[in-house]
Amino acid sequence: MNPNQPPTSILTVLSLDLLIQIIDHLLDPSDRKAVRLVSHAFLRAESLQRRTLNVLRREALVSLLRRYGAIERLDLSLCAGIDDSSLSLAVAGGAAATVRKVRLSRAGAVGWRGLAAIASGCPKLEAVDLSHCVGVGDREAAALAGVPGLKELKLDKCLKVTDVGLAKVAVGCPGLETLGIKWCLEISDVGIELLVKKCRELKDLDVSYLKVTDKSLQAIATLWKLKVFSMVGCNFVTDEGLRYLNNGNNSLREINVSRSHNLTSSGLVPVIEGHKSLEKLEAGYCFYDLEPLFLSKLSGLTYGFRTLKLDGSQISASSLQIIGANCKHLTKIGLSKCGGVTDEGVSELVSSCGDLDTVDLTCCHELTDDSLISIANSCSKLETLLLESCSLITEKGLNLIGTSCSNLQKIDLTDCNITDTALKGLSKCSGLMFLKVGLCPNVSDKGIVYIASSCRKLRELDLYRCIAVGDKGLAALVAGCKEIKKLNLCYCVRITDQGMSHLSHLEELTDIELRGLFRVTSLGITAIAIGCRSLVELDMKHCYSVDDAGFLALAQYSEYLRQMNITNCQISDVALRLLLRNLRYLQDAKLVHLPNVSKQGWDLALRACFDKLKKVKLPSELRYILSPVTIHMLQIRGCRIRWISKPLSRYEVPLQEILMGQKPQPFF
Amino acid sequence: MDLKNTGVSISESSSSKASSSSVMPKTPRNLNPNIPFSTTQFGTSNLCFDSGANQSFHAYQPALGMQSLPLYHENKNKDHQVLDWDPRVMLNNLSFLEQKIHQVQDVVRSMICRREEGQFSNQANELAAQQQLVTADLTSIIIQLISTAGTLLPSFKNSSLPSNPPGGPMGSLIGSEFRSDSAKASEYEELIKGLSNAGDEGDELIKYVNACGGEGTESVLIEDDAMDGDNLPPGSYEVLQLEKEEILAPHTHFCLICGKGFKRDANLRMHMRGHGDEYKTPAALAKPSKEVSLEPAPIKRYSCPFRGCKRNKEHKKFQPLKTILCVKNHYKRSHCDKSYTCSRCNNKKFSVIADLKTHEKHCGRDKWLCSCGTTFSRKDKLFGHVALFQGHTPALPPVDDAKVSVVSDQVQGNDLMNEGSIGFNFGSTSDDVSLLDIKGADDDRGFFSPMNFDSCNFGGLDEFPRPAFEVSESSFSMLPGSYNYVRGNGET
Repeated sequence: MNPNQPPTSILTVLSLDLLIQIIDHLLDPSDRKAVRLVSHAFLRAESLQRRTLNVLRREALVSLLRRYGAIERLDLSLCAGIDDSSLSLAVAGGAAATVRKVRLSRAGAVGWRGLAAIASGCPKLEAVDLSHCVGVGDREAAALAGVPGLKELKLDKCLKVTDVGLAKVAVGCPGLETLGIKWCLEISDVGIELLVKKCRELKDLDVSYLKVTDKSLQAIATLWKLKVFSMVGCNFVTDEGLRYLNNGNNSLREINVSRSHNLTSSGLVPVIEGHKSLEKLEAGYCFYDLEPLFLSKLSGLTYGFRTLKLDGSQISASSLQIIGANCKHLTKIGLSKCGGVTDEGVSELVSSCGDLDTVDLTCCHELTDDSLISIANSCSKLETLLLESCSLITEKGLNLIGTSCSNLQKIDLTDCNITDTALKGLSKCSGLMFLKVGLCPNVSDKGIVYIASSCRKLRELDLYRCIAVGDKGLAALVAGCKEIKKLNLCYCVRITDQGMSHLSHLEELTDIELRGLFRVTSLGITAIAIGCRSLVELDMKHCYSVDDAGFLALAQYSEYLRQMNITNCQISDVALRLLLRNLRYLQDAKLVHLPNVSKQGWDLALRACFDKLKKVKLPSELRYILSPVTIHMLQIRGCRIRWISKPLSRYEVPLQEILMGQKPQPFF
Repeated sequence: MDLKNTGVSISESSSSKASSSSVMPKTPRNLNPNIPFSTTQFGTSNLCFDSGANQSFHAYQPALGMQSLPLYHENKNKDHQVLDWDPRVMLNNLSFLEQKIHQVQDVVRSMICRREEGQFSNQANELAAQQQLVTADLTSIIIQLISTAGTLLPSFKNSSLPSNPPGGPMGSLIGSEFRSDSAKASEYEELIKGLSNAGDEGDELIKYVNACGGEGTESVLIEDDAMDGDNLPPGSYEVLQLEKEEILAPHTHFCLICGKGFKRDANLRMHMRGHGDEYKTPAALAKPSKEVSLEPAPIKRYSCPFRGCKRNKEHKKFQPLKTILCVKNHYKRSHCDKSYTCSRCNNKKFSVIADLKTHEKHCGRDKWLCSCGTTFSRKDKLFGHVALFQGHTPALPPVDDAKVSVVSDQVQGNDLMNEGSIGFNFGSTSDDVSLLDIKGADDDRGFFSPMNFDSCNFGGLDEFPRPAFEVSESSFSMLPGSYNYVRGNGET
């Protein structure tokens, strides 16, 4: 107890376990932070209660692990500069003895020594996530094999892991239940076959993009506990391979065969026949035609079959009708980029499937308001509606959606050319959290006002190239939607420093894109930096009106900034160096076309942050200008350098950018 | 002379110990006198030839001397005293040759004189006799010269040398005119025959008509792994057995004039062209035709001369070898020192140079290493192995090598292999031990007991002509590792 605490404080009366119970009810991290700053008693209670730890700085890792003695989930994926020595130091002496799960996703500097330290320091370890650590190879896998109790392992995109590494894991961790080896391109049939022989407990397996053949499928089919199987982009697997999966187990719940080009829809028939309890089937970009046999077999599945994703196929109205008739309990349907989808087909489908909560009709260009009407009439539980590039829809349909689907949380109207009136209709969905109206030049401040006035829960707003939106709209937005975390204002060129000062009131804002806002100057950026203290991602590409003052403000105030794009900005040597040095958590920087930075400036700036950067985009000419030592320093710490040789284009709005600017949203 | 006459000693010991020896008792070398006796016995090297020459020189000196010169007799004893390379002896030999040449010169000169005198007709017989004499003398000079030169060869100085059993009635003739009518077939003649014999390999064999043709039961015993699935019932074929000297001979055909050895008769014939126009005639260059027999040639199979070997005809489960090449490869692989070392890994040794070449093609690629130390050239084989044994995993290259290279991996693997197999690697004798020394060791029958041999019959020692470098897992069963699976390992 803190002796300075007044004796009348309630904290002296409550026992530790009661305090812990109080903390248990606090879910928001910021609330927790407030609580543990109140008193030592709460601090101690919290340290005993806390199970999850997300460390952002490697310097803090040791002390944090010492303080929190009961940590079970340790997330180091955002920890800047985490490396072998800091890991070894942190887990030494049993400091992490209670840890069960470790996330090291994208921790490029972690090698086998660190993993070996974890393996020996965390005896209860059950789950490790090493996804996107592109440098991880067989030796790291061998270190993980020293964790006999390992049940869950993610090695997605660990490019250097070969069959040997997989064999190490397979032999060392026979109790493995979940394994992701997506993009581990070196792994082949031999490795899979051995894995299957050694790890009989596997329930969840992801072999996406591997060059495996039917032989692997034959082996995998013997995993009688397998529930979730993902084989996206396995182009060497044929229908024959899928036939093996009909093994009489009925164990599969989810299967994803998307982008496996050697499959036909009838190849899935044996899978459906063998696994009646299937819940989720994804076969996007896989086959062009849906054969009647496949569609009719869908009726054999149990009521548990909820999710069907057939992106990129050719689906006629009659096919949709059969799907609707056979899968009445579908809750999620994905028809993104499907050809032949018409209003008739959609209405046939939704009239049978009243339980749908997610409908993906992205790029079904032929759809009109009729589809929306039938959706609105049938799907009262609708939560997610993706209508990108359905340019024929109007406010009429959307109004109906807003009226009927009160549960709507997410709607994508990118490139639908909607108007303010449509937004007015949608604003009836008070629970709306994600709204994308990019590339709708008709959306103006008025529409934003409608949304802001009623959709108070809005978290994410995409106004990409809504050129009619200006400062007033932002003012209304800030007034109404305080919880916004993510905001895309790229190329909304009317926005000025005034708008930025409005935005500075969004304390929860973590992610903001300000590309091409040439009216925004250092003043606006300074306002953002001071106001939006939780900012994690910032895109200022082509904000060429911002000068060093703005960047210095960022360097001083935006301490949580992790990802930054300042391509084509007027930043000087000093500011760049200060920015890169001061941003302690910076991991991803895009630094192409910085005309005011000299050769020495580059060297100094990059050396100032070499140990925390994980990804950096640099102009390709720097490859020959930068000192090789700097490049080596970056690379040896696991930083991936992408050399960009695109010519500078200030006013150009390339089509590519329009397409790429839309980050894919997680669908289901 | 310090010539051990290994060939002789073997046959003698065989005949004396009839029960234990397998080679000789049933196969008297002169069983078929019509088959010209082997030339290769002399052919292991120049030295062999030399030794044979020396010996025959002495042994049959009387025969020669009868037609020849007394001087030769006088030198005989001196020749006997040649124990090693001795300048004194050499001088003796050379002076003998000199004298001999002078004598021949004299004879020829006298012949010229007589011709000039025009005494042809009445002295035709005498002239013919003289001519014969000259030829004989010249031949003996050549041989003596070669033998003298042979003693100078350092590598063979101390070797035991094969020779023929004395007194074998050698029936075949050679084109040499000088050959005496004497009923005693001399080894000298045999040597000459050896020099000029152009017979093919089949003729070099000691023929042995399989005596166990009646034992029908043996056919059951012949196992399936006989070469190429060639399951001939015993007795349906002729079994031939070469002597080890014949097997190991680098050359089987020798030039009569200069003594140069050749592997092929055709090459010898080509070579002979350089010695004069008489060798350039189509007849001389033509392939000597074999006797054309009307009956179909009997199927021939070969026996390994090594007693106790499965390929030896005395073995209970005798499996014959199909061709002479098989015999040669088998004998070298199984019963000889491995004198060819891989220059890449400096570890693997081979007795057949072709095996070395095959290995060198793959050396360094054998990178699939198991934690138990076994290496595999193919990944799927390693993974099959790992799948089979609990706890085995594919091994990674050594940790602290910053540059993790295949080479270091390989070296490690080979170290382990060495460790594993050293216990019974009887090829591990040092490199400078010559083939001939090993032959001497061969005679020491206890050295390789059949059992001992079987127990380490792995990889390179296999009699099958497959690449010898492929190490089977069994070779690691004695690895002093801490694995519990050693037994299982050995059983695969």
